[in-house]
Amino acid sequence: MKIAFTAKGAEWNSEMDPRFGRTEYILVYDDEKDELTSFDNRDIENEAHGAGPKTSQKLFEMGPQVLITGNGPGGNAATVLEKAGIKIFIGAGQMTVKGAFDAYKNNNLNEI
Amino acid sequence: MKEIVVISGKGGTGKTSFTASLAVLAGNEAIVADCDVDEADMHLLMQPVVQKTENFYSGVIAEIDQFICSNGGTCVEVCRFDAIHEIDEQHTVTKLDCEGCGYCARVCPNHAIKMVEQNVGDWYISKTKVNNILVHAKLGIGAENSGKLVAKVKNEAKILAEESHKDFVIVDGSPGIGCPVVSSLSGANFVVLVTEPSVSGFHDLKRVYELVKKFKIKAGCIINKSDINQEVTEEIIQFLKSESIDHIANIPYDENFTKAMTYGQTIVEYDKGELKDLVVNSWQKIKELV
Repeated sequence: MKIAFTAKGAEWNSEMDPRFGRTEYILVYDDEKDELTSFDNRDIENEAHGAGPKTSQKLFEMGPQVLITGNGPGGNAATVLEKAGIKIFIGAGQMTVKGAFDAYKNNNLNEI
Repeated sequence: MKEIVVISGKGGTGKTSFTASLAVLAGNEAIVADCDVDEADMHLLMQPVVQKTENFYSGVIAEIDQFICSNGGTCVEVCRFDAIHEIDEQHTVTKLDCEGCGYCARVCPNHAIKMVEQNVGDWYISKTKVNNILVHAKLGIGAENSGKLVAKVKNEAKILAEESHKDFVIVDGSPGIGCPVVSSLSGANFVVLVTEPSVSGFHDLKRVYELVKKFKIKAGCIINKSDINQEVTEEIIQFLKSESIDHIANIPYDENFTKAMTYGQTIVEYDKGELKDLVVNSWQKIKELV
């Protein structure tokens, strides 16, 4: 299974980014291969419009079944994610990526 | 470091008056951000002295290179905004009419048209009259807003707060419920909803709260001008109870708010009595709730 995180860095001990559309990095953990890959999303800072859908598209290309984030996607991004069928868990905005993963495994996050 | 965002849904409820008061009371405990970039007005009450200015680029406008242009006119045929005309025998784009869709650039057989990013405003880091830092911005006339500049202002404020170990970032949020508000809200630790007991005020409070609820951010509410309509104030109080939103305070309508504004002062500087106490106590309560 592949689990995605919105983060401020590319490591397990990086801070989570509470935002979705304008998140700095997208991290994807493949639990079968025990591999953590990252995508640097910081160019999104230069996008005036469509940040949510653009990041959703990128996330979709990375193929996760689950997304862990802080507050959750805004309206426009949420519409795209819904179509992609990705399960979204929120409440991890103030954690590290590792902390967020543990919270997810312990059922301490909210699914939306 | 906690991020407190003040929003209202409906404009004119007293959001900025309240946020500026918090900024004065918090003093050096906080970095302040004015994310209402369309209609920034915190600076009127904070009297900032600009320390740093940065250009802000957003959106594009078509520009025709005269030397390559052969006056074929394909661009004029496709422009939906009537923005291209022959002026002095040269096809020219009227900047104010161009919406930046890029259709002309796409179809020009000579590739004579470039889409150029526009400097549509500036953002600033300033020192306020109470010696704390205000991050604010100003969009040019006709410039479009989006989450981009709001994100920029908030991010800069957060970076400054982390660098200087401040306890709070206090954000004057954007009005409405669109992308600028989403950008104001994401990452917030606490939301202060400033509302007024009018039918539209209550309606827009409920709308903006839907967004706050979706983001699962803790919220408290100030009912401003609470005595202008006791009935609606009661309805709002019931709503707050049903949604478990903390009822921070009721502030009565008082012309002293306007008088203070004309002197460029917040109510906590101008008033010496009940109004000041209400705001001071509200700030105490918010600090506890965060």
